[in-house]
Amino acid sequence: MNQAEVTKLMSQLRFAVRPNKRNLKNPDGPEGRLMKLRKTVTALVKHERIELFYQRADEARGYAELLISDAIRHGDRHKATMELADFWLLEKQLVHKLFKVLVPRFENSNVSFTRMYKAPRDYPGIYYDKAVLELRGNPYPSLLPDFSQNRNYIHNILLDEARKDYRREKLAEMATKLASETTETPKAAEPKAETKSD
Amino acid sequence: MSAVRQITPALWNSFTKWQKLSNLRYFSNSVIERRNELFTEEQKRQRERVGRIEKIEVRYLGLPQDVTLVMNRDISTPYNCAQHLSEGHCKRSVLALVDGNVAWDMHRPLPDNCTLQLLNFTVADPHVVNKAFWRSCSFMLGAALQNAFKEEANLQLHSFPGPNIKSGSFVHDVVLGSKTWEPSKPELRALSAEMIKLAAKDHKFERLEINNELALEMFKDSHYKREQLPSISSQNQGCVVVYRLGTHIDISRGPMIASSRFLGKCTIAAAHKLADEGDKDAIYRVQGVALPSGFVLNHVAYGTLEERARKLNPARQPNEPFEELSHISQMA
Repeated sequence: MNQAEVTKLMSQLRFAVRPNKRNLKNPDGPEGRLMKLRKTVTALVKHERIELFYQRADEARGYAELLISDAIRHGDRHKATMELADFWLLEKQLVHKLFKVLVPRFENSNVSFTRMYKAPRDYPGIYYDKAVLELRGNPYPSLLPDFSQNRNYIHNILLDEARKDYRREKLAEMATKLASETTETPKAAEPKAETKSD
Repeated sequence: MSAVRQITPALWNSFTKWQKLSNLRYFSNSVIERRNELFTEEQKRQRERVGRIEKIEVRYLGLPQDVTLVMNRDISTPYNCAQHLSEGHCKRSVLALVDGNVAWDMHRPLPDNCTLQLLNFTVADPHVVNKAFWRSCSFMLGAALQNAFKEEANLQLHSFPGPNIKSGSFVHDVVLGSKTWEPSKPELRALSAEMIKLAAKDHKFERLEINNELALEMFKDSHYKREQLPSISSQNQGCVVVYRLGTHIDISRGPMIASSRFLGKCTIAAAHKLADEGDKDAIYRVQGVALPSGFVLNHVAYGTLEERARKLNPARQPNEPFEELSHISQMA
């Protein structure tokens, strides 16, 4: 029972990791594969939104998430974390970005730090699926269509009108209530006046 | 060889007979079949009248880039232009905008050089598209009602008022051979299901301009349509615009959406009795609410929309007298 709780040693990733392996072939073998992943993680931290093949995006996402969560957990005075950042970020100025920009941005976040979308693949072109991988809170416009802001979309028109209709009803209800009260009060006041005159 | 020749005509005859029978069963009555025959003939006649093919230049404005397409006069439609662009454009485009201001059906041939924009439900100002959608919903409701009711019910389609999204419901006015019909929940649900079935069939809206005589011939069995036709055609220089969806044909000014498949979520919410008509029939206003496909709405929010669609729609009622001629134009 002296086993340490794993979540205390390593932070849990906040997205569903695919259990099966991704076939990332590389002519240079495992080293080349790692180099490719390092380049991808570096590019993600640098550009904040990248488009690439799905499998590689899926694999690199985990390493990027781990790097950011470790940076938040241990800060920049932690040797192991610094070594990790040094390994994954090929451009060294990005180490500063990691600790000075990304850590403050994601400190209080309780969702994953990255987002991944399926992207359309080129036709005709290479058969592999594509994906867009991005850091949350990036400065680019959203990739998903926004259905809530444009009030001219049909469902928004319908909802706005329903809301107006509801308010109109409530106002009419209040008006009738007030009218009935004001018609009642003079009747209540009259007998009092009579008693006084008596 | 000669034996085959002898046999084939007999076989052919029996085959055509069987085909006619199956068609009859499919259309459920000969009136609709006759109407469809007239429509198809006229459509064919108009296509053949084009004669020698001339080229026009259509300037497409929009994504991915502005291009000039060389198309065929009176043959090519905005849909054909979309086919030159991408599959996505074909699937997504609901309505076309010709010369920047005229709403144009996706399956209506282009007569001249023009600029073309393809609209969908999520453009910045989808006012025209929404209106076309609402109008098409009314039209489809007519088709669904015709499919749903048995012949004994004596259903006759009257008309549908102009689309008004702010009223919260789309409307179709019908005359039924019953004075006391109050639709139960399962009945309304069946009507909604009929709408969804129609949407799943992915019929395209076919537009046709016909003259008054042909229109009278086409709608000779429909008492109410015949009454409306003179005023409609006099407004439009003796021309009547009819639309066909599957086998359902009705009068409407249009424009309509490209295909029935753009109908997503749909509820037929209520049917209100408006007035008695003769000694057996009564006019009913059937109304519902719908969203285009791809629009996802939380069910509580959609519930409030359904609730609102149950109230009687305040659009002009068919039993009210015509005050001005402008009302007639709103009918279609």
